[in-house]
Amino acid sequence: MRFRVKSSAPRCAAILVAVVLTGGMGEQSSGIQLELSPRVCTLGANERQCSTTVHAYWHSPQEESLCLVILGLSNVKRCWEHYSQGTYSIELVFSNDLLFELRDSRLETVLASEALRIIRQAIRYRHRRRDPWNIFE
Amino acid sequence: MRKLLVAYFLAAAAVGVAHASSVRDCEADSPECAAVGKWNFSLALGAGVRSNPLVRGHDLPLVVVPQFSYYGKRFYLDNLDAGFTVVDGVSSTLSLIASPGYDRIFFYRSDLQNIFANLGESSAATGTNPPPPVPFPSHPRRITYLTGPEWTFNVHDIIGQFDVLREITGHNHGEEVRAAIRLPVTRFTGALSATIGLTWQSAAIVNYYYGAPRIYAAGSALRPFLKLGYVRPLSRGWRLEGVAQYEHLANAIADSPIVAHNYVVTSFLGFIRAF
Repeated sequence: MRFRVKSSAPRCAAILVAVVLTGGMGEQSSGIQLELSPRVCTLGANERQCSTTVHAYWHSPQEESLCLVILGLSNVKRCWEHYSQGTYSIELVFSNDLLFELRDSRLETVLASEALRIIRQAIRYRHRRRDPWNIFE
Repeated sequence: MRKLLVAYFLAAAAVGVAHASSVRDCEADSPECAAVGKWNFSLALGAGVRSNPLVRGHDLPLVVVPQFSYYGKRFYLDNLDAGFTVVDGVSSTLSLIASPGYDRIFFYRSDLQNIFANLGESSAATGTNPPPPVPFPSHPRRITYLTGPEWTFNVHDIIGQFDVLREITGHNHGEEVRAAIRLPVTRFTGALSATIGLTWQSAAIVNYYYGAPRIYAAGSALRPFLKLGYVRPLSRGWRLEGVAQYEHLANAIADSPIVAHNYVVTSFLGFIRAF
């Protein structure tokens, strides 16, 4: 199944705030580690969206009951009951950074988070030639 | 010619270092700016015609016209023209270009310029036509390319272009100067512009197309033209364009036995889809 993510400025701001608030906090306090592969998607000069399969892997020193969610994708949720590690793969099409979060089973507390970032190749522009001898403008 | 070239370079260099202009630098894809490293394709669909001044020359229909371009950091392709930009300033650009000789389009319907539809500058009859009424030795008009510097400037939406070219494919060794200036007329529900320009061709080029030994020997020719263009952007990627152009052919061309008219008229109205 392929999930398409709509872009929106407020969501980007929410991701930014969430990253600031949760950055490192969840992982350090609970010992839960979340890893994404790939962590970065590079867009070419002519590409508008990333389309890739993302593999998420988490592990913890002790058994946990938790869920993996992606901010902005309410239909994506994968939960584990009393596991010390887990993997999840998902095919995504997206045009902005995505924030993956591990939350407790009530989805109230963020235990760990990781961002999948988009890097856009810088597009250079130059003057277009205007040829008066061409029929069209 | 050399004096002209020197003056040309001096003028281009002077404008190249001057940055005073109303034109903003390129920051996005627009009619003025293109993304580096990206091919641009468009297709024109409409109704148009270009007259053929040759005796028994068939007019050239314009119905489906593909266009393409590519801009590298300095190198570019603009349909059948190629260029290398030496100076790309905010208001002034100096390039070395290679451009096909236009006149062949009237002799050969299959000429690539009749597919990508440059406006052309001159004239005579298509290759499949019967011979003209005046006995005139037939000789092939090969594809020729001219190279040389091209200076373009853009000040207050006025666009100018000046080329000094020499034929390099070894068929006529002629010289050609092209100059044109495009003026915005109005932007009310679309952009209407007027372009006035002229082409000067040396006797070598004129005779290659319109001359014949001991029958007709022409001198150099000056060919002014006036073009009106209208562009109205429509929905995504589509635009409406209309063009009307009149080009006057100098006596050196019009007096040739194979030329019937001293003008070339081009018109087109249709839709253009950019991909």
